[in-house]
Amino acid sequence: MSETLGTRSRRWSTLALVVGLAGLVLALVLGSARGDAFKRFEHSWLVSCLYFLSISLGGLFFVIIQHLVRAGWSVVVRRVAELVAANTPVTALLFAPLVVLLLRGDSGLWPWGDVAKVHASPLLEGKAAFLDARFFALRCVVYFGIWIFLGRWLLRRSLEQDGAQDAAPTLALERRAAPAMVAFALSINFAAFDILMTLNPTWASTIFGVCFFAGSMISFFALTVLLLRFLQRNALLGKAVRVEHYHDLGKFLFAFVFFWGYVSFSQFMLIWYADLPEETFWYRDRFHGTWLAVSWVLLLGHFVIPFAGLVSRHAKRRLWLLTFWAVWMLCMHALELFWLVMPGAEKDGALVSPVDFACFAAVGGIWFFALARLAGDKPLVPVNDPRLPESLAFENF
Amino acid sequence: MSEAQGALHSLVAEFDDVDGVSAAARAVRDAGYKAFDVYSPFPIHGIERSMGLRATRLPWLVLACGLTGTVLALFFQWWTNGHDYAFKISGKPLFGVPANIPITFEFTVLLAAFGAFFGMFVLNRLPEHHNPLFENERFRRATDDGFFLAIEARDAQFHERATRELLQSLTKHTVVACHESGESRALPVWVRASMAGAGALALVPLAAIVAARYRDSTQAPFHLIKDMDSQTRYRAQAANPFFADGRAQRPDVAGTVEFDRFRTDPALLTGRAGEAFVDQIPLSVTAELMQRGRTRFAVYCTPCHGGAGYGDGLVAQRAATLQEQAFVPPASLHDPLVRARPAGQIFDTIRNGVRSMPAYGRQMSIEDSWAIVAFVRALQRSQNASVEDVPDAERGRLGTR
Repeated sequence: MSETLGTRSRRWSTLALVVGLAGLVLALVLGSARGDAFKRFEHSWLVSCLYFLSISLGGLFFVIIQHLVRAGWSVVVRRVAELVAANTPVTALLFAPLVVLLLRGDSGLWPWGDVAKVHASPLLEGKAAFLDARFFALRCVVYFGIWIFLGRWLLRRSLEQDGAQDAAPTLALERRAAPAMVAFALSINFAAFDILMTLNPTWASTIFGVCFFAGSMISFFALTVLLLRFLQRNALLGKAVRVEHYHDLGKFLFAFVFFWGYVSFSQFMLIWYADLPEETFWYRDRFHGTWLAVSWVLLLGHFVIPFAGLVSRHAKRRLWLLTFWAVWMLCMHALELFWLVMPGAEKDGALVSPVDFACFAAVGGIWFFALARLAGDKPLVPVNDPRLPESLAFENF
Repeated sequence: MSEAQGALHSLVAEFDDVDGVSAAARAVRDAGYKAFDVYSPFPIHGIERSMGLRATRLPWLVLACGLTGTVLALFFQWWTNGHDYAFKISGKPLFGVPANIPITFEFTVLLAAFGAFFGMFVLNRLPEHHNPLFENERFRRATDDGFFLAIEARDAQFHERATRELLQSLTKHTVVACHESGESRALPVWVRASMAGAGALALVPLAAIVAARYRDSTQAPFHLIKDMDSQTRYRAQAANPFFADGRAQRPDVAGTVEFDRFRTDPALLTGRAGEAFVDQIPLSVTAELMQRGRTRFAVYCTPCHGGAGYGDGLVAQRAATLQEQAFVPPASLHDPLVRARPAGQIFDTIRNGVRSMPAYGRQMSIEDSWAIVAFVRALQRSQNASVEDVPDAERGRLGTR
């Protein structure tokens, strides 16, 4: 049971690092070749950073809520989630250059980086204190600080339990899960406002943070299914994780697919019904040209089709089918972030550029490198968890 | 087991633990029995496989109910607001899908939940008020620490001796026969009667609604919610201390110009040429104008002047019924005095009122006022016609009457 990646950690991390560095070089070359002062590169880089950040944030929520409700079924899959959730320092490092550029007066990504523009518009003038590069940088430090601290703390305590004589580390985790959840909820909500919503600084939607959270959860559960499948293909976790656990991860995936549709539609319907020009322009940008097609693909591909595909119990218990939907949702999550960010750089239509793929490979490669290194020689199952027997014996009705 | 008991209902075997009853279920399943059941104080994982039960059809029922809800909700919203009583709200399309989604969603969930809840009852054949197994003292342990397997006599495979031997080979307890008792499985009469009574009562409101739809009534409609009866508003001539001049009704702001109506013809605007009233209607009198005058007359004039203009409208009739002393009866439009008035004077009366008749200038356009004048002229002629007014071709038909 106390399986670790062992030597595979080094092999896989090296492979990922090669992909990441190659992607980085390619992205920088392609980005500068466009001659747009790296504007498009910045947008692509943000999409990729948020993609892997959101997966970690989903993991953070999952681990905290397992402790909060003292869940038994999930113990065998929790270590993988803890590793994903603790993998935020590398994302902070990858995200930092965007903030540094902003501090140096660049306004290619966040238009309010241009101070003159802020003071020229009465709407932005009112938000000038908030749309301040240094204050923004400080807030980013706070957000990433919370996430890094929570992720590391959850992992450290869980590892402590592995070698503990009693259940003290688990009890400590359960006691502090509630304040951790509050810190998580506030930080992800306001981070979504700060990082994503201020791409259109005059636009506001109070449910925006919840929409981002929903996407994070989807991508986390989808990636967890793939990671577990990948580890089992490599003769790891073979005895611990069974179809029953996949079934529950599939239920979560299904639930959050619906949740995403619910909150995204809530945002859309209120704006559609109120029909206020200062709100509708955000959707108008996304219903313009080929962006309209992307919007339709999201409605169908991010909600309607996977809802129908995952609703059945059989879809969650046939692992090849669950794997298919996990891959599908990971693609859709990338498209959603592209749809949220990219209209800032591509007003006329949804144009995919090689830079997007290069940035994705760069951030993804480096992120997986860090994940494999983090996993290292840590047991992939919390071997001494007091609820491990319950999880091993878990069966769905 | 006395002879007084009824036919054999089932054979019951008792077990000490989950493993015992699960193994027995597998054996009974493999022996080809269908009509048997396992009784346990708690749910047993995998017992459905041990018993050879087929997967429940409940999910399909739930799906069907949910889709029914989706379709019904969408159809009903389209039918009520988009079709039967088309009503524009907030400038949205008559059938705007985003606005209809919340109700569609709620109704889908509601019917799906009904499908799951009541479908579960139906598929489990609930409520079951009596089962012969309840007569067995030992069987009561099924809610505590006993595990039982009962094969019912209605099973095609059932043979009292062979079945008993099979069960006895699976348990160390003695297999017990369970007989039908005199207890009826049907609901007691008083329960059925009160359910029928409640059902009949539930139809009364429906019947009342149907009756009301097909019956005329002189009664005022019921107002369950009175908020429209007592509106916080000022009446036309009431005082309002909010304004400096103390009037609730606000005059036009100084310098107000009627929008899009820059016309100067005094005959058209006032019905006068100089001081004198004009006798010609300053618009071309077309069938269209006459038709417009007819409908405007019906809206504004008939309440007092009556449909034919004799001053016998509903208001006048009611005043007469109540013997209102202060009421000035409306003029008959066929009074020679009124008939002699030039068109411009009738127009002026409509626009500015006369005696107790209010001014309608604020409520209708210049054109509509002239249209009413045209219709009044036609009305007057119709009530004072001579033979000469009838076209030659039609005159012959008069004689036959």
